[in-house]
Amino acid sequence: MRKIAPWLLWIWIMVVIWAAFFYAPLAEGFVGQSSRILFFHVPMAWVSFVAFLAAGAWSIRFLAGGRRVAHDHAASAAVELGLLFCVLATVTGALWARVMWGAFWNWDPRQTSIVLAMIFYAAYLALRSAVEEPETRRRLAAAYAVLGLVVAPFLFFVLPRLTFSLHPDTVVNLRGRIEMESRMRQVLAASSLAFTVLFFWIHRIQVRLKARAERAPLGRTRP
Amino acid sequence: MPATTLLEFSGVVRAFGRLRVLGGVSGRVAPGTVLAVTGPNGSGKSTLLKCLAGLLAPDAGRIDYREEGVTLDTATRRRRVGFLSPDLALYEELTVEENLHFFCRLRALPASRGGELRERVGLPATRRCGALSSGMRQRLRWAFALLHRPRLLLLDEPLEHFDAGGVELARDLLGEHLAGGGLAVVANPSRLELPHVADRLELAL
Amino acid sequence: MSRTASSWLSEAAAVFAKEWRCELRTRYALNTVLLFAFTTLVMVSVALGPMGVDSAARATVLPMLLWLILLFAAAAGLPRVFGHEEEKHTATALRLAATPSALFCGKLAFSLTLFAAIEALTAPLFLAMMQLPVAAPGRFLATLVLGGWGLAAASTLVAAIVGQARGQSTLFAVLSFPVLLPLLLLAIEATRAAVGGGGGADSLSRLVLYDAAMTVVSLMLFPAIWNP
Repeated sequence: MRKIAPWLLWIWIMVVIWAAFFYAPLAEGFVGQSSRILFFHVPMAWVSFVAFLAAGAWSIRFLAGGRRVAHDHAASAAVELGLLFCVLATVTGALWARVMWGAFWNWDPRQTSIVLAMIFYAAYLALRSAVEEPETRRRLAAAYAVLGLVVAPFLFFVLPRLTFSLHPDTVVNLRGRIEMESRMRQVLAASSLAFTVLFFWIHRIQVRLKARAERAPLGRTRP
Repeated sequence: MPATTLLEFSGVVRAFGRLRVLGGVSGRVAPGTVLAVTGPNGSGKSTLLKCLAGLLAPDAGRIDYREEGVTLDTATRRRRVGFLSPDLALYEELTVEENLHFFCRLRALPASRGGELRERVGLPATRRCGALSSGMRQRLRWAFALLHRPRLLLLDEPLEHFDAGGVELARDLLGEHLAGGGLAVVANPSRLELPHVADRLELAL
Repeated sequence: MSRTASSWLSEAAAVFAKEWRCELRTRYALNTVLLFAFTTLVMVSVALGPMGVDSAARATVLPMLLWLILLFAAAAGLPRVFGHEEEKHTATALRLAATPSALFCGKLAFSLTLFAAIEALTAPLFLAMMQLPVAAPGRFLATLVLGGWGLAAASTLVAAIVGQARGQSTLFAVLSFPVLLPLLLLAIEATRAAVGGGGGADSLSRLVLYDAAMTVVSLMLFPAIWNP
């Protein structure tokens, strides 16, 4: 099963790409073919938030479950991947915004949330690189990830409410208003699934790579 | 003193990144005795003492400290031990008296205990710690270590900066501690002429 | 030896007293922070002046400026609360002698009072220099208190993390920004309401929520941050 699972994933992704362009209908009110980006942009954003939660969850496991290095590897890999998907989501979102509204950026609540997630990820990685001692590094990074988890609800729920009052001319996010045809919904769901599985697959590989790097020659004492 | 007070550690490993400083160290200390830890610079003496004190977590191995038959967890052990080390400092802006009083309050000890120890080690009350000589700072470290009457003393370089008077003080204090049934682990005992050395642990690079 | 509640309180009080005693003798944080707040205030006042901002926009823009000044003043002074313990090697003694939760609360109380001092100097001066009338002074005060609590709690916890890392002041800014942003936005929103005279109860209650969440999670995380 393990051997064919990656192939299944690839086939699934190919199907999703095909479906995004040929199976799903165009959404109303969108410029040309641009609504197709929906099927990639939304899952990317969704995965980056999943990564955020995953990093927090693994950090809690690390702190409360015996300080096992594997959990720390899982948390830091989740952050690294989360950052990647964040960047992808931001770029695809900005491209879409440009096509739709003529501007790459306008601090729409969702755009703001994604930037904040990116800042959090970057801060986490900055913290890791600022601590030399491995055991201390893992501890502090895990604590920060948990702190991030606690602050996240405020960032992602408080912010949208506030931004509206701060920028009354903000364009309402289309995603909330789209009446999606069932076919679009199917493709979106399929794509989200594909991206999620992709995330966890790459994540597993990342964790194994980190574990291998850790096991590199220990016990070499001073000459 | 019941033999249900005991320090035992086995297979203690500690690395800093790629550098393995402790490669599986074991030992045992019974009440009234001293474990002398010797070895060249960089052999891990301070690291071992910090692990025993609970200030560093070992990468592998076990550290078992029992008082009256009850094994203490790391947090409790950390608060119970008397620890002395060259890189332990007290507050420079506070006077000797204020410093000891502060730590007495932290440890829920009466304020008089601070004064008691201050006199025992021979330090002026109202001198700011920033203005103390290095020998006096070492005396202050001894006072800090003994403040809460610990059963287990972990001493790293206990005689650093001491003149002859200081060495004699250290000998007296350690002797009293051991006579009262306490245990001790001492790194770099050198001039201490330890009375009841039960064991020696020689660390190598 | 179990800690009774009164000895815990005594410990926290001892830490608080020690912080202030050391601070008053060196006056390092106080000087830096108050000077910073005052300088920024003067700069804003000179650059914008009481008439520099459109009267329509004043209720919107000025509260934001106030909180920015407070934020940067806090960032100038609060990180040291743990940093200097590690630098001066007094942290070891604290790890051996203090109960983590009592230690944190003592330090938190210090940060709170320090920040309150900053607010007490900055806010009235700001209102006077920018000639900003406040319609609901009670709400304004409540915002300062609640916002200050959140700022102090989050800053103290981040300071504890940063204390054991390198590059302390920049790292503090990097780490605290995402954590403090929701607090700041809520505080600004509530201040706007207090200045303008309407609403803001929502923001205040969310501030309380943030403060509570931050305090609880800090107490839970601190032992893991402080001890190996």
